[in-house]
Order: sequence, then structure tokens, then C-alpha cells
Amino acid sequence: MPTTLKRIAIVFCLSILFISCKNEKYAVVKITAKTTAIDSTLASVNAITETIAPYKEKMINEINTIISYASKDIVRTDGRLESSLGNLLADLSYERSNPIFHKLTGKNIDFAMFNYGGIRAGINKGAVINRHAFELMPFENLYVVVELTGEKITELVHYLIKGNTAHPLSKHIRLTISDSDFDLKINNIPFDKNKSYYVLTTDYLQSGGDLMNFFKTPLKRYNLEYKMRDCIVDYFKSVDTLKSYLDGRFNRK
Amino acid sequence: MDALIENKMDRRKFIQQTAAAASLTAVGGLTLPSFSTKRQKHITILHTNDTHSHVEPFEATHHKNANRGGVARRATLIENIRKENPNTLLLDAGDIFQGTPYFNYFGGELEFKLMSMLKYDLATLGNHDFDNSIEGFYKQLPNANFNFVSANYDFTNTVLYTHVKPYQIFIKDGLKIGIFGLGIQLEGLVHPKMYKETKYLDPIEISQDMSRILKEEHQCDLVICLSHLGYYYRRNPEYISDLNLAKATKNIDLIIGGHSHTFLPKPTIVKNLDNQNILVNQVGCYGLNLGRIDFYFDEEKNITTGGKTILV
Repeated sequence: MPTTLKRIAIVFCLSILFISCKNEKYAVVKITAKTTAIDSTLASVNAITETIAPYKEKMINEINTIISYASKDIVRTDGRLESSLGNLLADLSYERSNPIFHKLTGKNIDFAMFNYGGIRAGINKGAVINRHAFELMPFENLYVVVELTGEKITELVHYLIKGNTAHPLSKHIRLTISDSDFDLKINNIPFDKNKSYYVLTTDYLQSGGDLMNFFKTPLKRYNLEYKMRDCIVDYFKSVDTLKSYLDGRFNRK
Repeated sequence: MDALIENKMDRRKFIQQTAAAASLTAVGGLTLPSFSTKRQKHITILHTNDTHSHVEPFEATHHKNANRGGVARRATLIENIRKENPNTLLLDAGDIFQGTPYFNYFGGELEFKLMSMLKYDLATLGNHDFDNSIEGFYKQLPNANFNFVSANYDFTNTVLYTHVKPYQIFIKDGLKIGIFGLGIQLEGLVHPKMYKETKYLDPIEISQDMSRILKEEHQCDLVICLSHLGYYYRRNPEYISDLNLAKATKNIDLIIGGHSHTFLPKPTIVKNLDNQNILVNQVGCYGLNLGRIDFYFDEEKNITTGGKTILV
């Protein structure tokens, strides 16, 4: 068909379409729904599996990269009110966070505190790989420092007494508890309830996670913008062999 | 940046080609003996939410989801449904990122690439899609051959400005399908340094605007809301959620949700502001399920009984 004719035909058809279909309004008459489980009864599309493959290989290599060694099992269950893993986590968190805080404020953190439930796996004796850091800390928690009044520190101690659990505390703490009383030294100085203290924890716990309500309304809060997992990996990479001990930092009389 | 522009160019070309193909089909239709014969139209909406970087199926030893999920299997199901009905749209309601080391190591590159291979048509942003900051999300956009929509995040002073539109309109079998996106309040959920100057706007007010624009101005035959607000907060029933949104708005046919990882065995029917039945659906998380809603249309003049039948 010559082009002009074709063009005329199309214009003609389009005008009919326009005239006759202009007001053909459609409406929904029926709706059905079905949710299908994705499971092994469905075959895999090869192109997808092949696209994933090189990423998977790289990820597995990365995740199995050795970043440190452990001279013994480091677990959260080897002490009564402290643990080798809890002590290690609290101490490494302090060690790498305090310089950031000091640069930000010119001050030093007094101690670090986290929660027992937040330690998600132990470290076995031998090679430590990236995956262990992910298993240990699968959450995206960020460090924060809170300035707490002596009153809130007292609440914190009562939380520890009541919980009777090995919540991770850094080595700056010496806390001896009994059913009715406690003795607390922070950096070898007896706790002064009229003083305020800088405590390192995570954004999760600071917002009231694990009912640590004493963190919720601090005098001041500083965001270090540093992820706990990144810190763990950074620390592990920086030491040849992980060492951790029980030193009685939190004990019962 | 170059890749992004190229990508957008391709998309524009694609839209032009699609439009041309659509008008040819229409002209072709004229040659049929009885143009006025009533013809039902059928649109299939497929959807996922909170896939959270779950690229592969769960391991056989997993305590809860052993051997379930996996993008390669989802691809088979989607391909089969597309063969059955080419007038299909595939949507995601956000939180594509974060959940497996694939995200930690590759920043979402693989997730977007795979979604492009599955021919996703549109997605909205979840709070975790900001986990590598708004720049981290922007950096991965060249890997996505589909668009993101969000109507209640104002991205004006951010890198996403102009890259994420409030809504998108698709034409399938001559029907107009308008889809807009809604995101959750980021304050308190995401670190401000991650979402930067993204402003959160009221979802109900925005939805009222969106549904008016799509239904009245653009005369859409179907209006869908892609939401990452969460299904419903039992302990905080006053929080904005998909159920509350459905009740407080009109002219939305379907809300596809996310965030709360709610597995609904079937969509919830909710009465909207006009006392019309609309659907709210969500299919859990981690790509364990694919949601499907089929809309059957007829010409209004052929509809004698009035109203629609919802068989869910």
C-alpha cells in the first residue's frame, strides 16, 4: 500500500477508534487473589543462578577470610556474672570508641555496658573468620555515649543486681553485689552518686532495648556513628591472637 | 552517572515503543468484525515485600524457613504467570536491602540486577533501603531497570530528587493503572545521617491527593498504593498503617504493604471512606511468597448487576 494511502487509512481508523471508543469506560467486575509459596517444587531459572554464582563465590571467599586467631574458646557462659566473650566485646568496644569520643568532646568514656542477650554466638578456638563477626553481631547497632547522672548509674547497678546476669561490662568497672548492697568502683575510684558518668552502649539499648530504661533519658547523648560489627571486625583484624580473661569485674559477695 | 542517564534514555525509548505497539494493536482491533462485542480485560498484579537481600533459598538446616524462597525459583513462577497473562505488573513494597551478606558486601547491586532480570515494573523504598545512606541507594540505581515511587518522601534536597517520582502510570491492554508509593516515618527508625534531608509527609493527606490525581485527573482504571507503612500496629492502633490508610481514603483499589513482615493468607477486605470494599495485601518477607491479585474488567455499559465480586 502506498505510504499516503496507509497514512489515510491509519488516520481513518484512529478517528473511528477515537469516536467509538472514547467513552468505553471499563470497570472492575471481579477480583481474585492467590499467594504462592516459593519452595523446591519450583524449578530455578538458570540465568538467575548463573548471575548469582560469581557474587556467591566472592562472598564466600570474603566471609571465610581469616581475620584473627583465638587461643581458646571465647564464650559468654564461662563465668557467673562476667564472661570471657562479654569482657572482650566490652573492652574492644571501649578501646576503639574512646578515641572517637575524645576527638568529639575532649573527654573520656568512663565505661562500656551492653546486654548479655545481644551476644549471638561464641568464638571457637582456632581461626576467626569474617563470618564469626556476623554471627556474633548480626544487628546493625551503632555505638552511642550517654552522660548519666549518679542516680541513673544507681538504677543501672540495681538493674544488674536484679538481672543477676553476665551483661558485658568493660574493665573500668569493679562491681561487687550482695542481695541488699553493692560496692562500685569506676576506674579505681569509688562511685560518687553526685557525679555524672559517660557510658558507652548501643543505640538499641539506649532506646530502651532489654528494658535498660536508665539509658533512655540521659543528660546528653553522643552518636559515634560507628557500627558495633564494624568495630569487632576492625579490632579482630588489628590483633594476631584474641585474648580474654575473667577478672572479677562483676561479682557477687 | 552516565550509566544512569543511559538507563533513563532506554526507559524513555521503551515507553515510546510500548505506546507505538499499543496503538498498532488498537488499529488492528478495528479489522475484527465486531468491535463492539464485549470483551473482558484481565490485569494481574504480582507482588513481594521485605525480600531483605534473600537472594538464595534458606539453607536446609534453617530452623524456620528451610529450603524456602530463592530468586531463581521466584523467576520461574513469574515467567509462568506472564505466559498465562501478558498483562501483568510485578511490584515490590520495599526493604529490598539488608538481611544477608550479599548486601553487606555488594551494597544491593545483586538485588537490583536480579529484580531487573525478573522484570520488576515498580517498587517503593523501605526504611532499610537507606541502610547504606541515601547515596548508597542512589549508587545502585543504574542496576535497576525499573523505577521507584514515593509520594510522601520529599527528596527535594537530596540526590534522589527527580529520580524517585510520586507515582507512575502503566497502560496494559488499554487500561490505565496508576501506582503511587508511601514510605514509613524515618525519624527514630533510620539514622538521620542516612536519610539526610528526606522529608516525611503525612501519608493520609498525600494519599488523598494521589488518588484524586490518578483517578480524576488521569482517569486511571485501577489505582494501587505501594506502601511500606506496615499492616497494622495492634499495640499502637492509632499509628498510621495500611488498614488505617484504607479506611481514611478513597479511590484506591489495592494497597500492597510491607515493613511489618505480615503474612496474610489472603488479602484483607476493608471499607474505605466511600464505603467501597478495597483490598490490603502483604506476603510476609524474605521472598518466601509471591502475592497475586487478578482484576477482571468489563465495559461499564455491559455491567448490569453493579458492583464487583471479590473472591478472596
